[in-house]
Amino acid sequence: MNVLIIEDESRIAKRIERITRDILGDDLQLLTHINTLGEALSFIEKTPLDLVILDLNLNGDNGFDLLTTAVSKSFHTIVISAYKDQAITAFEYGVLDFVPKPFNKERLERAFNRVSFKESVEPRDTRYLAIKKRHKIQLLSIDDLIYIKGAGAYAELFMTDGSKELHDKSLEKLEHLLSSSFERIHKSYLVKMSEVKGVIVKSGSKYWAELKNGELIPIGRTKYKDLKAKWF
Amino acid sequence: MALKRLPWFLLLLVVLLTSACSQDPAVFEEHSTVFEVGDHPAWSGKDWNDDNWKKWIKYVPDGQIFWSRTKIDILSAPEGSRPYGLQIDVYGEYEIFWDGVLIGRNGNPGQEAELPPEGKLWITHGIPAQLATEGEHVLAVRLSNYYFPDHVGRYVIEIADYEDLLTSLLIKTSYMHVFAGAFLIISIYFLFLFLNNRKEYPTLIFSICCFLIFALVLTVFSKDYVPIHYSLHVIRLQIINTFLLGISFLIPYYFSMQFPYPRRGLSLILYAALLIFFWLKDGHAFDFKTVSMVLSMWCFSFGMVAYGVYKNVRGARLVLGTLLLSMAVFLASGFVVSMYTGMGLILLGMLYLLTLNIKTQRLAYENSLVQSTRLRLELLKKNIQPHFLMNTLTSLIDWVEESPKKGAMFIEALAKEFDLFNQIEDQTLIPIAQEIALCRTHLEIMEYRKEINYTWEEEGIDLEQMVPPAILHTLLENGITHSLPLSDNSVRFKLVYESNSHYKSYSFLTFATVVKHTTSKEDGTGLKYIKARLTESYQSGWDLTSEPTSHGWKSTLKIYS
Repeated sequence: MNVLIIEDESRIAKRIERITRDILGDDLQLLTHINTLGEALSFIEKTPLDLVILDLNLNGDNGFDLLTTAVSKSFHTIVISAYKDQAITAFEYGVLDFVPKPFNKERLERAFNRVSFKESVEPRDTRYLAIKKRHKIQLLSIDDLIYIKGAGAYAELFMTDGSKELHDKSLEKLEHLLSSSFERIHKSYLVKMSEVKGVIVKSGSKYWAELKNGELIPIGRTKYKDLKAKWF
Repeated sequence: MALKRLPWFLLLLVVLLTSACSQDPAVFEEHSTVFEVGDHPAWSGKDWNDDNWKKWIKYVPDGQIFWSRTKIDILSAPEGSRPYGLQIDVYGEYEIFWDGVLIGRNGNPGQEAELPPEGKLWITHGIPAQLATEGEHVLAVRLSNYYFPDHVGRYVIEIADYEDLLTSLLIKTSYMHVFAGAFLIISIYFLFLFLNNRKEYPTLIFSICCFLIFALVLTVFSKDYVPIHYSLHVIRLQIINTFLLGISFLIPYYFSMQFPYPRRGLSLILYAALLIFFWLKDGHAFDFKTVSMVLSMWCFSFGMVAYGVYKNVRGARLVLGTLLLSMAVFLASGFVVSMYTGMGLILLGMLYLLTLNIKTQRLAYENSLVQSTRLRLELLKKNIQPHFLMNTLTSLIDWVEESPKKGAMFIEALAKEFDLFNQIEDQTLIPIAQEIALCRTHLEIMEYRKEINYTWEEEGIDLEQMVPPAILHTLLENGITHSLPLSDNSVRFKLVYESNSHYKSYSFLTFATVVKHTTSKEDGTGLKYIKARLTESYQSGWDLTSEPTSHGWKSTLKIYS
């Protein structure tokens, strides 16, 4: 795993580093500590990362600016902050976890478990997905999202206005971030259930979800039972 | 005070005052008065032929005796045994005859040069009931006028029920004394207000105005119980006009303070000159002087208040209303009534403006209380705001886990900063030494957190000086936040004090690598705190500048003497 720590308090950064090494052990390939926002941004562009641990108040800079950049990337972001009241906003932007200061090893371990999917993630109120479009970070409202189609390491976001956007995170990572109103109905599809009008059964036991806009999306054979129990 | 009801209150006052001055129908009719120099007992008789007497005598020198005769028709005889009374204002000492019968005596006519002044100007003489029959009568006066020989002339005569005359005098006098007393109390009250706040000149001027009106009313209406010899009458009028001069100047002056306008000084000087011209104007035309001064006062006040209305100054409309109302009273009821009513109205308008001022001051004071409470809270918050507290605690946990000994020292430094904050928490100014101690302790804490070598230097510090609490501390916090260490992992701060006769100056220097901000700068709450503290202690007498330098950053605080 490649991990980046962005923290301007040297003592705290060292603490995070130490705990990270303890928890990840041999899984850790790269651990870097940077204490300014500018350096961090250029480092993110150059280095493939799996996780960023971010302090929101850096030398008087507002960490939310970095946050929108970070969450548009393929890696997950964990925020560590002294301000508990920033937690809701951070989750809305799509961070995986928010760790309030002061923290201990156990709390950080729980956050790491979410990254490695060892710990189930409670549904979060992510309200925006940040995407990179023409070198600019753009926030898309979850309200305008109908479904997401996995495309390898990326994901395609299908919006209510008919447009299609690309996100750097995988379908698995996005599933982690989105609330329970989204359902993985197929290995390649994550659909907002309020957009589903009904289920169509076709010959050969093929199931299709009919969306309000008339589109048909396949339902995985293995997923159908769970879906039926939960939604129909 | 329910200010919305003030206009109604004013109207009621006017109605009351005007109704108090209404009169009963007259019981007599007066014919023209004729004069003759000389002395003859028969001149008092009802039937004496005065056809060739003069309508007018210009001058009777040396206190010679002269006579006047006035034909009077009694329109209705007195009821029952209640006699009629006669009021007459005469310049001179005299004997007064009704159809040849002596009914009154005032002083020693013809002997004024030899004898001291005797008698008084205003007397009510009784007319025996049997003499005041319906029909024609003759009022003859035998008099001498030693003191004002060129003021021989007509006089005002009033005949009515004797008791009613006295009672109405009494009622009028007591009403006017109540009126005067109210002004005296207001005057004293506002004088005390001024003595407690000596910057508030409008309060003083209002107080003086009220006092002058009290003095004026008292002087005018004491004539019915303070005996005044006619020789003193001019002095009395001069005193009255002097009070009026003061009032006529002070009321517009007051308005000019409340509704400032350009070229105020010049216009006030011209106005004062005009008033003094009227006041000094020739001799005995007292009525003319009075009317001129009071009307000028009204016109000038009106101009100033109208300007205030034009400029939309608070309260100007209502004051303009009282001025217009006083003019309405003048047009409806004549000069004497309107002068006192009008002055009462105008003074009420002035009082209204003062209460507005007092309200504004109270609000400002309450605001300043809130502001200083807020600053105090802000100071307290410095140590418990999450960024400081949670980061410190996180580092502290780490130190305790890694090196308990250092952890203990860290806690001691923290305890020291908390203690210092506790000491300065409710002060608006603290000794500079205390502030420096606060900065040093803070650096100690930050060293444990950031693991950067922070050093503190000072130059030319005068330990006698006081500064608002935690302003250098706030500059230091900003310096720490926005600085990266130099290549030797150090950040240096230096405080330099300089003073001269104009100002004291603190230069706060940071030697470090300044962080280049890639994002919008955080809202400068720290700077706001510093500015609010400086304003609290020095009002506008301070200046704070910040600029980047080759070595880092420099903030300069100047406090002007």
